[in-house]
Amino acid sequence: MLIRNELVYTSIMSLHNRIAVLRAEKKLSRAMLASSVGVNPQTIGFLERGDYAPSLELAFKIAEHFGLPVEAVFSPRPFRTLSEQVYELHKREA
Amino acid sequence: MAAKEERSWLWRKVGFWFVPVRAGTLGPEEWAKVRKMSRTGKNRRTRRLFALLWVPALAFEIAVSLRMVRLDPWAGLISAAWLTVLMGLAVRACRIGFAQVSLEDRAVIEYGVEFDALKERQRGEVFQRAVRDGLFGRVKVDEHEAEQRLRAQGAAYRLLGPGLVVFVAGYWGVCLFGPFESTRSALAVTAVVVTWLSALVLAAPTMIRMWTQPDEPGETAGVAE
Repeated sequence: MLIRNELVYTSIMSLHNRIAVLRAEKKLSRAMLASSVGVNPQTIGFLERGDYAPSLELAFKIAEHFGLPVEAVFSPRPFRTLSEQVYELHKREA
Repeated sequence: MAAKEERSWLWRKVGFWFVPVRAGTLGPEEWAKVRKMSRTGKNRRTRRLFALLWVPALAFEIAVSLRMVRLDPWAGLISAAWLTVLMGLAVRACRIGFAQVSLEDRAVIEYGVEFDALKERQRGEVFQRAVRDGLFGRVKVDEHEAEQRLRAQGAAYRLLGPGLVVFVAGYWGVCLFGPFESTRSALAVTAVVVTWLSALVLAAPTMIRMWTQPDEPGETAGVAE
């Protein structure tokens, strides 16, 4: 019962994000991002791995740190890869 | 490397895992062992093993305290208090352990480079700080840490509920049907106290919620605001 509750809770909480990609783009370590948004470095790791869904406050802080709207960093559905999106954009423009 | 040769067998095999090393005294093989040990100590399998070992440790504590209390009630109290303090320290160590980052991450955080790229002296310093923080460090409670604690406490409480009910039922059973003719009435008094203490513990979350939950805003009030 306990384990089932935990599983249900986890599935409800699943939230996809692009933090790892954005961090790599900006050459930012987990510790640097963590200190900037006021959490532990491990928390950034858990977020990137999808083990933890952030509070609204933290999600907005992270999005603000990267200068992006929150929906560009977090999504309830899996993100398409950036290369796919760029290719589609080019195709549409052509 | 000459200093490494002079060390005892015990130090070479075991000691350096536990003793903060002097900066610049370990070789690459020993560092590989230290890092492996550090990773093993933090992984889920090891943590679960320690969690399982906690049950026999608790049983040992109870057995020791019971033996002491038979000798002398005060000795029982001192033994229970001392073992509880030890258990508390162990729990604190676990909490601090959760907050520690790996040696590899420490290298990146403190020096901005991978652990392998550090100089020997810097590796020693990273390790020394890791051991020191592991023993005396503080846990920064961010939202993830707070949520993990709340979830763990919630899970513990859900286990505690049925556990307490079974315990109280068993306690009453022993009081009523056990071979304690002369002390049955005194035992029944303790059973009543245990029952009401358990009821208090089980009802506490709802009572706290009743105390702290704000008034529900009505629909009209919400629109008017």
